[in-house]
Amino acid sequence: MKTHLLGAYQRMLAIRVAEEEIAKYYLENKVMSFVHFYVGQEAVAVGVCDALDKEDRVMGNHRSHGHYLAKGGDLKRMVSELLGRENGLAKGKGGSMHMIDKSVGFVGSTPILGSVVPLANGSAFEQKYNHKNNITVAFCGDGAFEEGVVYETLNLAALFNLPFLLVIENNLYSVNSKLKDRRSEKHDVEKIVTGFGVKYVKADGNDYEDVYTKASTIVADMKSGKGPAVLECITYRHMAHSAPLFDDAQGYREEDVLEKRLEQDSLKKLKNKLSKEGINEVEFVEMEKEARARAIEAIHHAAISPYPPKEDLYKNLYV
Amino acid sequence: MSERIIKYTEALKEATEQMMEVDSSIVVLGLGVSYKNGADGTTAGLKVKYPERIFDVPVSEAGVTSMAVGAAINGLHPVVHHGRVEFALLAADAMFTQAAKWNYMFGGSNPVPIVIRINVGRQWGNGPQHTQALYSLFGNVPGLKVVIPSSPYMAKGLLVSALKEQSPVIILEPRWLFNLKQHVPLEVFSVELHRAHVINSGKDITVISYGDGLQAAREALELVGDHVSVELIDLVSINPIDYQTIITSVIKTGAVLTVDTTNESFNVGSEIIGKIVQEASVTLTRKPMSLSCPNVPCPTSTSLTESYYPTRVDIANSILKAFDKPLLDTNLTFEELHMAPAKTI
Repeated sequence: MKTHLLGAYQRMLAIRVAEEEIAKYYLENKVMSFVHFYVGQEAVAVGVCDALDKEDRVMGNHRSHGHYLAKGGDLKRMVSELLGRENGLAKGKGGSMHMIDKSVGFVGSTPILGSVVPLANGSAFEQKYNHKNNITVAFCGDGAFEEGVVYETLNLAALFNLPFLLVIENNLYSVNSKLKDRRSEKHDVEKIVTGFGVKYVKADGNDYEDVYTKASTIVADMKSGKGPAVLECITYRHMAHSAPLFDDAQGYREEDVLEKRLEQDSLKKLKNKLSKEGINEVEFVEMEKEARARAIEAIHHAAISPYPPKEDLYKNLYV
Repeated sequence: MSERIIKYTEALKEATEQMMEVDSSIVVLGLGVSYKNGADGTTAGLKVKYPERIFDVPVSEAGVTSMAVGAAINGLHPVVHHGRVEFALLAADAMFTQAAKWNYMFGGSNPVPIVIRINVGRQWGNGPQHTQALYSLFGNVPGLKVVIPSSPYMAKGLLVSALKEQSPVIILEPRWLFNLKQHVPLEVFSVELHRAHVINSGKDITVISYGDGLQAAREALELVGDHVSVELIDLVSINPIDYQTIITSVIKTGAVLTVDTTNESFNVGSEIIGKIVQEASVTLTRKPMSLSCPNVPCPTSTSLTESYYPTRVDIANSILKAFDKPLLDTNLTFEELHMAPAKTI
């Protein structure tokens, strides 16, 4: 388990450090590509994706750097996409909100809230239709869970008994709007989900082990034909909704003030655990140094990569 | 040997059935598609033949259509049926924002082989929320292929092509044409998706239409007779539009009339006329003309709808007037005005 946890820590660290470096680069350079950082939520992506096989599929949303990297994605091609380069995941046409790499089972991310949920359900529909023993995961936020199409999808997934796992990353805010401003006091995600006949599990999204353990059980059940599930992970989004900044000064955060977020931070938690199991500080410093070097290299690689040629504007409209 | 004559709806069913025989990735989803006479007969009997591939679905247009898009991007070739365009609008994200953009926004090599069949347009007594056509909406979104079959032959050939296509295809099916009959070959055949058809050659004026408007224009040719030589074009596809066929014709005739069966503003005809008048190689000898429905919703009362859609007489008189020929003074019967044609063409 120690080796597994160490690997998980490194995967989470790689996401954290890559985004820190990307944020820095965004601030120092005029990068014209909309971006939403995942910093804080890494335990969810890594915990869920560690429970999957390569052939299992993942789809994401506007905040999907972490989902993509956790599924085994290529950091260089991701950063190139963010910087609009020809060698990016979508040849520069998608940007940060459109991660895709079918070679690792990441079949797309889309930023219209809720839109990816039925799409991923369709992927699961295909898996069931073709008798594949694999599942599809969609990541969505608490905001997207308020979209009507999500409820339609829960019904469809239950009706057709699809191998579909919806991971709700509840980071308490939709942009800057609090849950209590968007839902009645009686709102109950578990009742909604189970009311459709879909299994519901709640996890501490800041705790890798909790997410991983629960996701593993769900995935195993699903592969034995037990049907769709929702895994709601309560977590914290450290940074602003869509800027390379910390925005605590905006004053909208009540429950998750900076001190609390840092105390509950998923990386910190896992680090403490690993320290107790004998990993020393020098090793942690070394791991971070290596991860940071890889991130800086990926950014440099992207920055010197060519932009797509002008004629690409008119390409790929149809297959 | 007697010709095999079938209805528009039967042609759609035949194309689906024959393509399902050769392509196991084709599945059909839609409200009531599993009924004995499902989707106006266009899926009749298919549930019995393919029990695992025909899916009746909950009343969840967004969830179902997006699910089908998700299945398509992972290799299935779903056909989604919407019984009215107003219901399809609930799936706008699936069609316009997801399917249409998918291949482009991911830099190519990301096909979305899906066919979305949508029932559109006029039908007696159906009123403002059941009779919209909304062609221009579908023409306005790059990445979709949008066709409007004008006859049983076209219905079969276009659906076969759509089911061989790797880009998303929207088929807008005017229900006004559902009882139209025609000789349609039994064997599988394709009609190119994005090619307009010159269905009558002429030298004086180019008339451009599609769907049920084309049927009225076809009938108008008989009324115009030898007075004016009309070149009639079936547009077939409104996305993309085959301007080459149009411009070639208008260079020859120097005159154009477009016929839409949708509201006047932002319609297909205005779009085409706009392009024609900007085309350097075209010299128009007459002002371009267009016919369409007024800019109000289609009401229910037959006393109001009798002047809502351009008729064959309206089309013939527009042409005759432009060429200073005597106008027709024909009154259409109640049946002709309000009942869908069931004739053989």
